Amino acid sequence: MSEAIIQVNHLGKEFGSHSVLRDIDFSVYPQDVTSIIGPSGSGKSTLLRCINMLEIPSTGAILYHGTDITDRRVKVEAYRAKVGMVFQNFNLFNNKTVLGNCMAGQTRVLKKSREEAHRKAIFYLEKVGMAEYINAKPRQLSGGQKQRVAIARALAMEPEVLLFDEPTSALDPQMVGEVLQVMRQLVKEGLTMIIVTHEMAFARDVSKHVIFMTDGVIEEQGTPQTIFENPASDRTREFLGRFRNA
Amino acid sequence: MTSSIPADFFGRILYLLERYGMSFLRGAGVTMAIALVGTLIGCVIGFAVGVVQTIPVSKRDRLPRRILLKTVKVILSAYVEIFRGTPMMVQAMFIYYGSQTLFKINMSMWFAAYFIVSINTGAYMAETVRGGILSIDPGQTEGAKAIGMTHFQTMTSVILPQALRNIMPQIGNNLIINIKDTCVLSIIGTVELFFAAKGVAGTFYTYFEAFTIAMVIYFIMTFTCSRILRWAEHRMDGPDNYDLANLDTLTQTSGMYPFKKRRTGDE
Repeated sequence: MSEAIIQVNHLGKEFGSHSVLRDIDFSVYPQDVTSIIGPSGSGKSTLLRCINMLEIPSTGAILYHGTDITDRRVKVEAYRAKVGMVFQNFNLFNNKTVLGNCMAGQTRVLKKSREEAHRKAIFYLEKVGMAEYINAKPRQLSGGQKQRVAIARALAMEPEVLLFDEPTSALDPQMVGEVLQVMRQLVKEGLTMIIVTHEMAFARDVSKHVIFMTDGVIEEQGTPQTIFENPASDRTREFLGRFRNA
Repeated sequence: MTSSIPADFFGRILYLLERYGMSFLRGAGVTMAIALVGTLIGCVIGFAVGVVQTIPVSKRDRLPRRILLKTVKVILSAYVEIFRGTPMMVQAMFIYYGSQTLFKINMSMWFAAYFIVSINTGAYMAETVRGGILSIDPGQTEGAKAIGMTHFQTMTSVILPQALRNIMPQIGNNLIINIKDTCVLSIIGTVELFFAAKGVAGTFYTYFEAFTIAMVIYFIMTFTCSRILRWAEHRMDGPDNYDLANLDTLTQTSGMYPFKKRRTGDE
């Protein structure tokens, strides 16, 4: 087995006296697709935000190629440039066009030339089927289009790992389809991804590893077969019951 | 000479304009110059202070950095509170005469005029900018952080352009207030429009006529500025339509074609 890209060790997070994550342990290997599922409020999104250091973990460590990024001497910006994130609410830059959104990180963070950034931006926008819309502003796009641009923006940084925080939860069923289609394409191309999602069929089909969370702890983790067909925990069975009967 | 002044109101106004038109214009010019420069420098001060005041302090930062930031923030809020909390007229007296008495600095009247308006506008703008920054959805900051931007990069390429657009009406407000409020600088001897009008009024004892002219000039200046700023705001919003780019050169027939904005995602 190759070396893990991200290794989460005994991670805990408290907001004041309220503990939202306890003793989280898992590893992500190159080209793995890891899905995090579970009921709302179970800490899935907080966990993902901790991995990108948008929330600072209270205890434990997150190792990126063996370096603990929760160490305050580590430059989080350089780490974030390698570990991209796609948000539930897209978070596209409202003051920039579609093209500007996909170029900003490349020119300002990676210090690429405008020509190269432009070329890369177009390349990834084509991949998500949004290259025609380079001149549009985010407010002129539909939700599904915005999310596809957000994915292109993250891909343009050529990250090692891409984190998805409920990328389809704010979309209607048709738009969910177009975004999932793009994500399936990325899975096929071997991108390492961690996906927090409520799309159970999608998680089952594309994941290599599934993590089921309840009340801030990992209740159960394993292959999609184990979690979806033969869960060990009653709570997993209960949560997935509705989906399996459907 | 005084005997030749007309007896009727409009006649007197024309007479004043004919003889003292230039001094009104010069006064208006000084008023506009101080108001424009003061607002501009005030905006720069306001942006600087507003940005520093919104720097997040996290537990990850080192202690010296946290102490430094805290100290700077306290000093800056003291500046804002003092200059917002005292009348500009009193500040003018205090700074112009105080600098001579206390620090033996012989400030020129012109420097004092620009300085007072700038620093006053800066104090108001600091709060406006802070509000503008806070009004931007935190998601914008997160989006920028997630692609590896530093706080400075996030501010300059994502947050401030949007905050600037949101506070444009308030910048316009400040400019208009400054055009009117420069008249308090007459107290330190700045010959702006109010001072000029007062001078002309005193010569022939024609207060009503001279200040009618001043009123009209003030209104023309403020109204023109507010229209220009409205237009600038409109420009900043950009076009409502966008062009679909045709990137596949093989299928390119007519290049770009316009695409009307539609409300929802009906692609």
